[in-house]
Amino acid sequence: MGRRRSAAAQPRQPLPSQAMSAAAAAAAPGGSEALQAEAFQRLYPDQYLAKFVAQGVRPDGRPLALPRATSIGLGVVTTADASALVKIGSTTVLAGAKCEVMPASADEPDKGRLVVQVEMAPLCSAECRPGRPSEAAQALGEQLGALMEGAGVVDRRQLCIDAGKAAWAVYLDLYVLDADGSLYDACLLAALATLASLRLHAVTVDDAGRIHKAGEDGAAAAPAAVAQQRPGSQQQGAAPPLRSLQLDCQPVSLTCGVYRGQLLVDPTAEEEPLLEALLTATVDEQGDVLGFYKAGGSATASQQRVLECIEAAKMRGKEVRGLLQQALEAAGVADGGAVAAGS
Amino acid sequence: MAGRDAQSVPWFAEERPQAVLADGARLDGRSFEEFRSVFLKTGVISQASGSAYAEFGRTKVMVGVYGPRQSDRRQGYSERGRLACDVKLATFATRQRGIFGQSQEEREHSAAMQTALEAAANLDSFPKATVDVYCLVLEAGGSELAVAITAAALALADAGIELFDLVSACSVSRVEGSLLLDPSADETHREDGGLLLAMMPTVNEVTQLVSRGQWSGAELKDGLELAMGGCAQLDAAARQCLREAAAAAAAKQAAEDGAAAAQPAAA
Repeated sequence: MGRRRSAAAQPRQPLPSQAMSAAAAAAAPGGSEALQAEAFQRLYPDQYLAKFVAQGVRPDGRPLALPRATSIGLGVVTTADASALVKIGSTTVLAGAKCEVMPASADEPDKGRLVVQVEMAPLCSAECRPGRPSEAAQALGEQLGALMEGAGVVDRRQLCIDAGKAAWAVYLDLYVLDADGSLYDACLLAALATLASLRLHAVTVDDAGRIHKAGEDGAAAAPAAVAQQRPGSQQQGAAPPLRSLQLDCQPVSLTCGVYRGQLLVDPTAEEEPLLEALLTATVDEQGDVLGFYKAGGSATASQQRVLECIEAAKMRGKEVRGLLQQALEAAGVADGGAVAAGS
Repeated sequence: MAGRDAQSVPWFAEERPQAVLADGARLDGRSFEEFRSVFLKTGVISQASGSAYAEFGRTKVMVGVYGPRQSDRRQGYSERGRLACDVKLATFATRQRGIFGQSQEEREHSAAMQTALEAAANLDSFPKATVDVYCLVLEAGGSELAVAITAAALALADAGIELFDLVSACSVSRVEGSLLLDPSADETHREDGGLLLAMMPTVNEVTQLVSRGQWSGAELKDGLELAMGGCAQLDAAARQCLREAAAAAAAKQAAEDGAAAAQPAAA
């Protein structure tokens, strides 16, 4: 992200200190200070940010180490099997999962499929245009997919309907609606919230390969349907049981930027192109690192910086998992670890 | 795309309802000439020049407006301004999962939105430049194009693009001889005729009228009147939304000015 943006934006040009103080002086007096400040920000974004950071604050009023306010809304799209709207400050990501049925693959007859894709909708920022998916969006999707698979977030054996015959294909699509920095964090949280709230229908496959709701054709419930009744659906009596996914870990990430020797946590789109390096740490609930990502940047990161970033990610993880748990409880789909998954 | 080459098939837990009218009433309990619950909000995307979110029942649409900005080079030269519209449906917005690339339906929606809005924007106020109107349908619960056009007009107003009037649009479906305002997805699925009307309510000019199916003259007149009444209602809601946004912005500005004035005094 940061790299792509900074290529478009003006490069950091170290201004002669005289010019800088002159600009600062021009900004200081005068009647319309707000206008002056705005002009200064447009003309010298780097100096603008530096003045804030030197005082230990950010342009949006946060201290350097404070992530933005975060909210999670579940079940916002009723046509999706599960969905989540995540906001981190202004950054907004909408994730939706659709389940389809696929024939079991020859290689992994007892596993289903999870496909993660990210789309930066053209409305999310001034740089995104309609047409081919942008490189940044593809990179985000790849990273998320690799994390889901590599860290074993979802054991895909849970997506099995009938081993060797049929399995669920879960398509997890993420739309960035407002790109105000730290997209990976928001995407990962939206993906996690969607998977945590996903309920699979208990179905059976008959000899002709057709799919039925479990119990509908008199057959015993599918072996995979050791299931949990969704609270609130009891009044329908013989409602099909729904099964939640057991997540083996809950990865949460935090992006930090390096700027003039300081660590800026959860940078905004305004800050990102000015940062010297972006570090993203992903940790699970034990604080173990599931992924670390530093995408180039003009500065290197010392071991100290990396550890600082991981520590911050651990703190953030606690906070975010609390929010997620609250959201799941509010939506009535909390699993609380009590779900006996079929696998 | 990864989703296409592997042969997975959709499976629906719920069938579509067989009939959308039971005893002369709509399934959701609305009267024939009633909108679903309408929610409109502007200023929802921090990066955009203007933006709007519209929710009509289950239909949810987000619009971002960027520009006026430099036209794409391949667009060629134009003395007047240009309004470029792009409508996309999220893959999970529909009953059956959609595709990531542009579908035929999306292309038609984009073209329809452009013609519906072009007449309302003062294109001479931004010569040689382009205003991009990007629309994403988050959930297609019926009448999504009409909702998108209404939201797009709000987003244009929010972006400060000069308009001759707001545009509001609504759909009418004819099911079993009854005319239904603002149809849901199930109602549109069962319709034997439908129309979409986009108009500028204050000047009472129609910017777009598209009808589907066979209509008798009298029916079409009734349908048109119903849609025009609907557009007038929507226009009131849209103006209310803009007024509230302006009031909120003014209050915020006043608070900031107050804080700025208080600061030197304190120092």
